[in-house]
Amino acid sequence: MVHIKLFGLLRLDTGLKELDAEASTVAQLYPILLAEARRVKPATKVTAKDIDGCTVMINGKQGRKSSRLKDGDQVLLMSPVCGG
Amino acid sequence: MATKYGGYMGKVVLLDLSTRTAEDYPWTDEDREKYIGGKIMAAKVLSDHLTGKEQPFSEENWIVISTGPLTGTGAPSSSRFDLSCLSPQTGILTSSNCGGSFGYYLKKAGIDALILKGRCEKHTWLEIDNGRFIFHDADADGLWGLRTTEGQEKLESLLTAKWGARRAFGKLMIGPGGENLVLYSAVLSGERAAGRAGVGAVFGWKNLKAVSVTGNHEVKVYDPVKNEKWNRKWFKYLRKHPLTGNQLPRLGTAGLVSAMQMRGILATKNYSAGRYEKFEFVNGETLAEEHNIVNKGCLTCPIKCARTVEVQGRKVKGPELETLVLLGGGICNHDLEKILLWNAELDELGLDTISCASTIAYAMEANEKGLWDNGLVFGKTEGITELFDDIAHRRGIGAELAEGSRRLSKKYGGEDFAIQSKGLELAAYEPRRAVGQGLGYAVSNRGGCHLNGGYLVILEGLGLNTNPLTPHAKADFTMLFQDLMEMISATGQCLFTSYAFFPGFLITRPGGIVTRIANAAIPFIGWALRFMNKFPLALELHLPVFHQTKGMCYAVGMKMTFGKYIRCGERGYTLDRWVSTRFGIRAKDDSLPKRLTDVPQDPSDPKTRVPLEQMKKTYYRARGWTQDGVPTERTLKKLGIL
Ligand code: SF4
Repeated sequence: MVHIKLFGLLRLDTGLKELDAEASTVAQLYPILLAEARRVKPATKVTAKDIDGCTVMINGKQGRKSSRLKDGDQVLLMSPVCGG
Repeated sequence: MATKYGGYMGKVVLLDLSTRTAEDYPWTDEDREKYIGGKIMAAKVLSDHLTGKEQPFSEENWIVISTGPLTGTGAPSSSRFDLSCLSPQTGILTSSNCGGSFGYYLKKAGIDALILKGRCEKHTWLEIDNGRFIFHDADADGLWGLRTTEGQEKLESLLTAKWGARRAFGKLMIGPGGENLVLYSAVLSGERAAGRAGVGAVFGWKNLKAVSVTGNHEVKVYDPVKNEKWNRKWFKYLRKHPLTGNQLPRLGTAGLVSAMQMRGILATKNYSAGRYEKFEFVNGETLAEEHNIVNKGCLTCPIKCARTVEVQGRKVKGPELETLVLLGGGICNHDLEKILLWNAELDELGLDTISCASTIAYAMEANEKGLWDNGLVFGKTEGITELFDDIAHRRGIGAELAEGSRRLSKKYGGEDFAIQSKGLELAAYEPRRAVGQGLGYAVSNRGGCHLNGGYLVILEGLGLNTNPLTPHAKADFTMLFQDLMEMISATGQCLFTSYAFFPGFLITRPGGIVTRIANAAIPFIGWALRFMNKFPLALELHLPVFHQTKGMCYAVGMKMTFGKYIRCGERGYTLDRWVSTRFGIRAKDDSLPKRLTDVPQDPSDPKTRVPLEQMKKTYYRARGWTQDGVPTERTLKKLGIL
C-alpha cells in the first residue's frame, strides 16, 4: 500500500487530498486516481493526460512515471505550475 | 508637452513640495520613444538629476510617480504604475511597482508622471484634481498617525464631503511604518502595495502622508478600432492560457508553495534549507480549501490573482507567495491563520512583508547563534504581532529591526546569513537549487528582487524544467528576461502577463516531447541568446505568443517590434545600473550571502550552491558592462543613453 498526496490544481479539480492505493509503479496509480476522482467528483474535468503531466515525488525525492513503488512509500503528485 | 502618440496625456509635472509650486517637466516624443514610461522613464528623469551625492532622506531625493502608455487604454492588466526614488534601504535607485487604480486616475487627471521634489513643511496630504495641486494639513484632517485602511477610509470621507459621492479617486497612503521612517516601509494604494525598498519612508520623510487623484481627461489611443480588436484577442488569449487563465486566478501566487517544496527551493529557516516539513499547513491549496477565497484584481485585469480570504470572522487580503513562505517556513511557523492576520497587519502598518519577515528570520538566527540576545526564536510566534507594531513605531527592539538585515548584520555579525543583496532582502525562492535565480538576485538593479532579477526560476522548475543547477546560458536568459520585464513594466502592464509568453502546452505537458527538447536545449542555446541580446533590432517581427508589441503599435502608434521592445528594456535596465554606479555600485555589490554561494544546500552535492562569480562574468559580458559591473561608454552610446 502506498500513500498518495495531491497538490496544485489537480487537488482542487479532483477534490482529492490524499488516498492509499496498491501499486508497484507510479504509472499504475494513474487509473486508480482517475477512477477515485470521478467517484468523488463526478463532474471533474481531469483527464488521464492531466495526471500524466504531474510532477512526482517519492519519499521526498524526484520520481517519474516509471518509478517503482514499494509498500509504505509516500507519493506526492502535483499538477504543473509556473510563475509568481 | 503635446504628443503625437496615443496612450500618453502629454504632461509630466515637477511639483516642489517645499514651495508648493508646479511646473511642466520637459518631456518630448523622442523621450517617449526611448524611455517609454513607468520605471524606464523614471530612470531617465532621475539619471538627469542625480549626481551620486544625494541622500535618500533629503530634499534632493525626487520621487517619480509614473504610468505607462498602456495604462488606461484597455490593454489587459495595464493599470500598474511605478514609484521610483533613491531607496533608504539600499541607497541606490529603486522602483516599486504597484497595481490598483492610482495610475489610471493619474492619467484621468491629465498627467503621465508626477515628480515630487523638496519636502512638505508639515504633515501634508496632497489632492490632485485635473492637474490642480491642493495641499492639505494631514494633522488637522486627522490623517497622520492612521493605519492604511483607516487612513484611506478617512481620506475617502474627506473627499466625499468635498466633492460628493459621485467622483472616484485613486489614492496613495503610507502607514505608521513610513511615518517613522522604517527603511522597508511601503506605500499602499487600496489593497495593493508598492512594497519594496522603502519608498514609504521617503514619503514619510517628505511629510507626505497621502495623495489622492481624480480627473475627467480621456486617454486617447492611436487606433481605437484596431486597439479594441487586439485587446479582445489578447484578453481571450490570457483567459485561455493555463497559467494566466487558470492557475493564477484559482490559486494565486500562493499556488507555488507546494511546487517550490518539491523542487527544494522553498526558503526555510532563514534559507538554511529548501524544504519545510510542515509546508502542507501553509500552502496555497490549504488556503483555498479553508479560507473561502474571493478573487479580486486590478483594473482591466483578466487574471485577477489578488484575493480576499476569511480568517477568524474577518475578511482580509490574501497573502502573496513570498509572505506565505517567509512568515511560514522562513521562521518555522506553520500556523496559516497567523500568517493571514500578520499579512493584513503589515499592510495596515505599511511595511514590506518580505523585508520584515526576512529581517526577523535573521534576528532569530542571530539569537540562536548567540550573536544578539533579542528573545526571538524560530517557531515561537507569540508576540510577533506586537513586534510588527514596535517596528512600525520604532519602539524597543523594533527600532533595530526597522533598519533591515544588512545594517543589523554589520552591527551584530552574521553577514553570511543576512539574506539580502545590496541591502534588499531576497524573495522566497531558495536559489541554491535554481542557480539562475541566484544570479538574478545578485545582479538585480534594486537589490535582492526576484522579478527585477529576471525570474529565471520560471525555467528552473516553476514552469519549465531545465537543469536548475547548471550555470550554462543562465546569464543570457537573465539578461533577456530582465529586459523584457523592464519593458513590460514601463508600458504600465503587470509582469504576470509575461507568463503567457510560454505556450500553454510547455507547462501542462512537461513530459511531452517538445517540452523535453526545450528543457534539454536551454542550457545549450546561450550563444543564440547572446546573438539576440546583441542584435535585437534584427528581430523585426511580432511573436504570436507576445501580444505586447502589437498592443503598443495600436494603442500608442509606436512602430514596435519584438527586437525594439527588448532594446528599450535593455536601455532602461542599463540606465538604471548606470545611475547606481554613481552611488558606488560595482561588481562586489552584486553579491549574495555566503550561505548561498559557499555552502551547498545538500552537503553531499557540491552543485547545490550558486556559482555566482562564474555566471556574473558572462552576464557582464552579455550586457556590455566592464568586469567590474559598469556599463561601458560604447554600450551607453549603443543604447542611445549617451
Ligand atoms: S495579475 Fe494580479 S497583480 Fe497583476 S494586474 Fe492582475 S490582479 Fe493585479
